[in-house]
Order: sequence, then structure tokens, then C-alpha cells
Amino acid sequence: MIKIGIPRALLYYQYYPMWKTFFEELGAEVVVSPPTTQAMLSEGSSRVVADTCLPVKVFCGHVLSLVDKCDYVFIPAIRSVKSKVYNCSKFLGLPDLTKAVIPESPPILDIDIDINKGKGKLYQAIYKLGRHFTWNPFRVRRAAIAARQAQLNYRELMSSQGLTPPQAIERISGTAEVEPKTHSNHTIPAQATIAVIGHPYLLYDEHINHRLIYRLERAHNRVLTPEMLTTEELESATVRLMGRAYWTYEEEVVGAGQHYLESGTDGVIGIVAFGCGPDSLMMDMVHRQAARLRATPFMNLTLEEHTAEGGLVTRLEAFLDMILYRRKRRLVCV
Amino acid sequence: MRLGMPHCGNLYIPVRAIANRLGIDIVIPPPTSQRTLSLGVKYSPEMACLPFKLTLGNMIEALELGADTTMIPGGPGPCRFGYYNKVDEAILHKLGYKFYMATQELGLVRLIKLLTNGASLGKIVTASRFGLAKLKALDELERMVPKIRAVEREKGNATRIYRQGIKAIDNAADYRALNQAKREHLQKLMNLPTVSSPDPLKIGITGEFFVVLDSFANMDIEIELGKLGVEVRRSIFIQDWVKFNPFIYVFGLREKDKSHKAARPYLSRHVGGDGWQSVGEKVLHNRDWDGLVHLEPFGCLPEITARNIMPSTKEKLPVLNIIYDEHTGKAGIINRLEAFVDMIYRRKRR
Repeated sequence: MIKIGIPRALLYYQYYPMWKTFFEELGAEVVVSPPTTQAMLSEGSSRVVADTCLPVKVFCGHVLSLVDKCDYVFIPAIRSVKSKVYNCSKFLGLPDLTKAVIPESPPILDIDIDINKGKGKLYQAIYKLGRHFTWNPFRVRRAAIAARQAQLNYRELMSSQGLTPPQAIERISGTAEVEPKTHSNHTIPAQATIAVIGHPYLLYDEHINHRLIYRLERAHNRVLTPEMLTTEELESATVRLMGRAYWTYEEEVVGAGQHYLESGTDGVIGIVAFGCGPDSLMMDMVHRQAARLRATPFMNLTLEEHTAEGGLVTRLEAFLDMILYRRKRRLVCV
Repeated sequence: MRLGMPHCGNLYIPVRAIANRLGIDIVIPPPTSQRTLSLGVKYSPEMACLPFKLTLGNMIEALELGADTTMIPGGPGPCRFGYYNKVDEAILHKLGYKFYMATQELGLVRLIKLLTNGASLGKIVTASRFGLAKLKALDELERMVPKIRAVEREKGNATRIYRQGIKAIDNAADYRALNQAKREHLQKLMNLPTVSSPDPLKIGITGEFFVVLDSFANMDIEIELGKLGVEVRRSIFIQDWVKFNPFIYVFGLREKDKSHKAARPYLSRHVGGDGWQSVGEKVLHNRDWDGLVHLEPFGCLPEITARNIMPSTKEKLPVLNIIYDEHTGKAGIINRLEAFVDMIYRRKRR
């Protein structure tokens, strides 16, 4: 059986159930790289130039950990998934970049996804990908339809039950315990509701964000993430703040930011990777909006490979303390 | 309407020519200076790229001079550039400037109508033709001057004539004056005394278009290389955006298409900005250039992708990467250029 490696980085959190379904329907086995470790991160960073963004370094580390474990690595080049809305250029160059910096990597399966070129080109691309497994176009079609359905179910599961992508993935693949893996103690009511916004590959990679969500939950806070909103909510919030979306994954930053700033959460934390081009401008817009509304505290955390756990924890504690004081004061005022 | 625009190399000259012909009141901000940069850095998001900071500084200076409409190209694409207008607008409004930001989101026809004050189509065409003629003259001069700079006997003359030439082209009011200014300065350049046995190194410049084109952003890298006796070659010119020749387009004879084709084995897709072209130039000019200087602003998305891929090509053209941000010092760049040029001389002698 052909083994397809999928790095647990970048778009994994958005599309893993879809990719898994597609490859399994075509009779391949899917191997996922293990969660990020310090060794993977340092190996990945040693391959690329210094100012490459953190997620790409993590990604290279994951590809390195898949060497010898699979026959192919799946790295899609997602150019756009909506008309006239483009993705960051790192995503487009990802297959070529990986090939250049990791020459020993298994052969790369890539697929060009560009909605602007029309549906026909998209179907062709999917068929071209399926050709590695079968000659039969109908089988590819069936797999693609099943994959699409899996993706819709995944989104639905996250927005309806308020799950984070790793929880939803566990639920889907059946490895989850019955209780969703929240670390908060349910007997104590949540002290505050904190929204964390940013790209999934930063929010859910517990190594690079130093278990941010876990820390928030352990401090008895309810944590909201962009995936817990429906696509419509995200889109309408993006339009309210910025007009038409410009980046493919603008909704999870601008849309979620705008939504949570307006909807009366106790605090919003924006997470950015150092050197991220799109986020450098997008998160700034959310920051500006927070300053304009003056309703919800906003904190911007920048992650890179030198981010120290201690510094992050201190800032987090200060932010949470500030929110608590704010709430107490408000209670006294009323 | 008083239209303000940011600088990008010599772009202001054709724009001013077109605006003058159409009778538009245009505010060209003062040449980009340290003040522009400081203003831009002060009000930009910290991780924004250098072109963003410089163009924001330009716009602030234009608004200070009384512009009430500004324009910066935008539109979809995988680089930050198309997003500038939204962020610029938010920042400048926050600073209290009252202005209207013209963007491509209006649609091309309405945008042109707005910017030209509703001038007739014929007038727009004739004005644009004059603007393009100026652009062509400028590019001709820019193509000529690095060749002379490398071999002139007394360093600095070519640059001086080039600066005079730019001024003369900017001042030219009609085609005759323009042609005369161009011819006169090209002739002056040709007549400069050269060293006895000229065989200069040929070093290409490529990278992100803004830092390649804007001499403030790239700290006069062409002049510095010229001082070291290097003939600078580059294939990024402002003209490339507007030059349209169906024959050249259809058969892929543009410089850009050629380098894209050359890059294909290493980078098979467009990654936005000029990333694809940067990889391609290294492959394409492996034989005819002695080295390549790759310029990029810090954090440039397409160029980082390109820079990751460049070392893996089979063609081993020496490449010097120079990354610009607001803290880049000129002395550091000159040092690196000298070392690079020395290295190439030694390599060539061997």
C-alpha cells in the first residue's frame, strides 16, 4: 500500500480530514508526522534562510521527520480558494521550497489549487493528483466527493460543538476519549472568556505557542477560537472591518478579531508569527479596531523560535490579571 | 482635486507629465529622505516591509503639502503590496488627514475618470503617450548609464550627467524638447573618457521591484557598484508594467517570461511579487553575468521563497543577498559589495 506522509503543520489543521478521506478512498495509507518537538523545530530552521517565518521552519521540521517513513509527502500549493482572493506566497512556493531545502525528502505530491482558473482546472488538478493511485476518473471523483463531505462535516463539527481542530480531528478519527479534552475544572465557573485569534497552525501547535490554550484553560477561562464561528459569521465580520477579503485566511484573523471584539468577550489575544507578511498588516488592523472600539482588551503575542516560555507566561498572567481587575471594577461601578 | 502619490524611483516624472497635460493638480512629495523614512517607520506596523514604510512616509509628506486625494495601486495578488491601500487609509485617517483614497476597487474606468477629472478619452490617450515617451527616455538613460559608469576614467561624471538628464527630461514640455534632452545626455555619456582597456565585470541586479527601482531604498547600489568598476545589468524597469506589445506577449519574449521559463525546474509557479523572476535570472544569466546581487526588503514574502530556492540550482552563479530595512547602514552594504566584487575577480582570474 502506498504511504502518504502529511506534515502536521501549516494547513494540516484546516484540511486534514479532507486529505485523509481522499487518500484513504483511493486506497493509500496516511502517515502524519508527530507533534512538533524542539528537535524538529531546530532541524527545520537549520535548513531554511534565517528570516523565513516560523510556521515554514516548523513545516520543514515535519517533512524531515517523515523522511523514510512514507513513499510520498503531500504538499499542496494552495493559491486561492475564493475568487480573486490569494494566499500568502509561502504557501504557493511550498512544494518547490521543500524540494530545494530538503533534497532527501520523499517525492512530493503537489496539487495546484486556484479557483480563479475555473472549475475545470480544479477538477483537472484533482484528477492529476488521483492519477498517482488509480487510472479510473470515477474513482477519483468519488474520493473527491467523499473528501469534500468530510471537510464540511469537520467544519460543522467545530462550529456547532465549539471544538478546536485537534479535538475535532481526534473525534473524527475515533481516538478521542468520551469527554472532550478540556483542562478546565467544570465545577468552577469560568472566570473570563478569552478569544484567541490567529492562524490554526499557530494556535494549535502546542510546542511553538508554549501550550497557550492549555494555560488559559487551566486559569479557568473559557477559550474561544476562530474555528468556533461559522463561515458566515467570519465573512460578515471581515466585510464590516476591511471590506472584501484580500488574503485566503484573512477571516481567521480579521473576521474572528472583529467578531470577538464586538461580541463582548473579556479579552482578545492575537497570535502572530514573527516575519509573517499578511499578519503584520492584518493583526495591525485588528489592533487598531480594538483601540477604536475601546471595549475589549487586546494583546498581540509574537511567536518565533526564540520566544521564551517565561516571557510568554508573564505577559499572559498580566493580561489575565488586568481583565480580572477590570471586571471587578466594573462590578463596583454598577 | 489635488492628487498626491508616493515615489517609486523615477515614476514621478511620467506621472507629472501626464498630469500636466491633463491639467490635474498633482502634488509630488519631496524626494524620499531620512525624514520620509522616519515618518513612515513611526506610523507603520512594526513588521511591515520597507516599501510600505517609505510609501506611507511619502503620502504623509504629500498630504502635508495639501493633497486631498492619494493613490496607491492595489488589487489581489499573493504579496502584501495589494493590501497597502487599506492599511494606509486606516493609518492616515487616524492621523487626522482628510483625504480620499483612490483604489482599483472602484473599477478601472471609474478610477481613470476620477483621476483625470473626466477628461476626454482622446486627451487621456495623448497625455499618456507623452508620459510613456518620457518613461522610455528615462529607461534608455538608465540602461546606458551603468555601462559608462563602469569604465569612465573619472568616477562620478556619469552619475552627474545622469542626474542632469533626469532633470532635463522632467522639464521637457513637448516631444521635441524631450528628444533633444535625451539625445544630448546620451551623447554626453558616450563622450566621457574611458579607461584604456575596459573589461568590466557584469553583475546583475534583481529582486523586489521597489528596492531595485528606488535609489533611496537601495542606497544607490548601482552607483556604488559602478564605483567599483562593475557594469550593472538589470531587467526590472518601470516600463515593463506599461509596455504592451502583442507580438512580444504572445510569443513569451518578454524578459520576465524568459526568466520564468528558466526558473521552472526549480520553482514551477508564480509566488507573487518578483520571486519567480529572481530565481529565473540566476538560471538564465548563468553564462553572461559574473554575479548577481539580489535585493529585498526585510520580510518580503516572495523573495524569501526565492532565496530559499536559489542555492539549490545547478547553475552556480555567485549571489549576494542584500536585505534592506530601516536600520540598514550604507557602510555595511559597501563593505559587502567590495568583498563580493573581490571574490568574483578572484574567481574569474582562476
